[in-house]
Amino acid sequence: MIAGMSYPSASGEEVPTVDRERLQALQRITDAALASLSVEQLLQELLIRVSEVLGTHTAAILLLDETGSMLHARAAKGIEEEVEQGVKIPVGAGFAGRIAARRRAIAIEDVDHADILNPILREKGIRSLLGVPLVVEQRVLGVLHVGSLVHRVFTDVDRDLLQLAADRAAIAIEHATLYEQRRLAEVLQRRLLPTELTVTGGLELASRYLPASRESLGGDWYDAFTLGSGHVAVAIGDVVGHGVVAAAAMAQLRTALRAYAVEGHAPATVVELVNRLMTGLGPNAMTTLAYAVIDPERGTLELVTAGHPPPLLIRGDGTTFLDGVAGIPLGVSDVARYDSHTFPFEPGTMLLLYTDGLVERRSEPIDRGLERLAALAAGNDDAEILCRKLVAELVSGERLDDVALLAARLEPVPERLSGRWPADRRVLAGVRRLLRRWLEKVGASADEVYDIVVACQEACANAVEHAYRPGRHWFELDASYDQGRVRVTIRDEGRWRPPRGSHRGRGVMMMRGLMDSVDIQHTDSGTTVVLERILAPESA
Amino acid sequence: MSLLADVTEERRDDVVVAAVEGEIDASNAREIGERLRRLLSNHDTLLVVDLAATSYLDSAGVNLLFELSNELAARQQRLRLVVPAGSPLLRIFTIAGLVEVVPTHATRDGALAQTA
Repeated sequence: MIAGMSYPSASGEEVPTVDRERLQALQRITDAALASLSVEQLLQELLIRVSEVLGTHTAAILLLDETGSMLHARAAKGIEEEVEQGVKIPVGAGFAGRIAARRRAIAIEDVDHADILNPILREKGIRSLLGVPLVVEQRVLGVLHVGSLVHRVFTDVDRDLLQLAADRAAIAIEHATLYEQRRLAEVLQRRLLPTELTVTGGLELASRYLPASRESLGGDWYDAFTLGSGHVAVAIGDVVGHGVVAAAAMAQLRTALRAYAVEGHAPATVVELVNRLMTGLGPNAMTTLAYAVIDPERGTLELVTAGHPPPLLIRGDGTTFLDGVAGIPLGVSDVARYDSHTFPFEPGTMLLLYTDGLVERRSEPIDRGLERLAALAAGNDDAEILCRKLVAELVSGERLDDVALLAARLEPVPERLSGRWPADRRVLAGVRRLLRRWLEKVGASADEVYDIVVACQEACANAVEHAYRPGRHWFELDASYDQGRVRVTIRDEGRWRPPRGSHRGRGVMMMRGLMDSVDIQHTDSGTTVVLERILAPESA
Repeated sequence: MSLLADVTEERRDDVVVAAVEGEIDASNAREIGERLRRLLSNHDTLLVVDLAATSYLDSAGVNLLFELSNELAARQQRLRLVVPAGSPLLRIFTIAGLVEVVPTHATRDGALAQTA
């Protein structure tokens, strides 16, 4: 039997009978000082003030979880065990559960004879209870209740006062929760997107991510990484939805894509495997994707898309949307098939991947947005400048959707090749590919390319191995071609170490065997190796 | 797994054939060496390293093959290489003197034919 009374919610109504002092005390609950508190601190402070104003011994706040079916004790005063023990009350059951379900205040005069789920309330010796719902814009956020250790009849004034406190508190809780979610989400997103796009092999990369104005975060993401084959993978995607759920799906998607790609699967297979994984993650994992693998040496681009706007190719003044490749979004059907299409991607060409936030505007067909994008992109030959321009021209300050873009441009092979790299074994493969492209351009035959690349790698590997002293070390490579003669200079800052062991010195021997001339100069500031080879006339 | 190269294995009685696909340089030679060593048991008599699909190999790889040859010889096991005719690897092996130490065959069948 319920020994209590129910009141209709007094939310939003005037409270004429409350004395001025109590009302003022209550109004402090939402004063500016509370705005800077975290959710936990805010709730704690709120309970202290409510207890003071109403003269109660206990106070507690329970908030609904993401499912909306369970109340979790989040803050308590006088009955701290509620929070410590992680009390959960199903909506509709018990004292707090009924308040949430009926969206109205409930008072219980005598706890001993009431339907109470939470044993802590009884164990603490609470005799009388009063609780009200926390409501914002018709949505129930949770329940605020106060208790007395001595028998007490809560009056209409008490009830109205508590509801007034609850109404104001609900707004503050909503704001603080949103703020915390946003902050968490932003940190998460920053950690999920690559901080630095460093891909060698003659590919210039630039990217932007701009979250939607009013959302905590979106599901847009991009990635770029090298595959062992010397190919470069670039990807962009848009996970449906916003907030932490979308961010979590995005993190799983990005990791899965990298893992499958690095395993060496073909692009279409990578997308099919990712799709199967996303389908298994449940209904919230729908996402669009554009995935491209660039082969800088062959000058090709292999593309797979899944429900994503068509990537744009920019070359000189011309632009081409790579459409006609479309598959359905990921996470819709686990038997969906995806096909890849290969396009020429010559040096000087730029690929632009973007999400729909860049081209979509309200009350306008998407074709207009695509036209505008193509017109702005035409004639651009710098990835960083293109990104800056597109954001300035197409992205407004008040964004409804988040925007991500990634531009990749295959740099034309220069007349004279020169560059500087960290003295790290892992950069050798990238340097090799760059050198290969350059040698092919100056007309070296396949065998000559191989020999010269091996000889140069010996010098580069020496530079890497000399850099044993602490700190970051670099080496430089400069390659020029003049009248049939290839000349490559490799310079490092390391001090020469005399060859040790049976293998040391084999590198030098091989350089001499492969090149027409090898000159090695050691000074205090470093080592310089100059390699020369005269190309055979028929290939020059 | 190395991103630059992959090793696939095939066994015939006491013979192990290991094909290296991809590139071997200073960044992954040690790892490729470990993978090749793990393929061999004490009962095996011959390791054939098939380099037909090896698109790049420099002194890091040459050093590895010299080491492997010495280790196997010490354990009464043999090493043979498969390098197709015309492969640039053959020039590298010739310059380094590897061909004088390790028997090199143009085809896998050739490397296996003389096992009997």
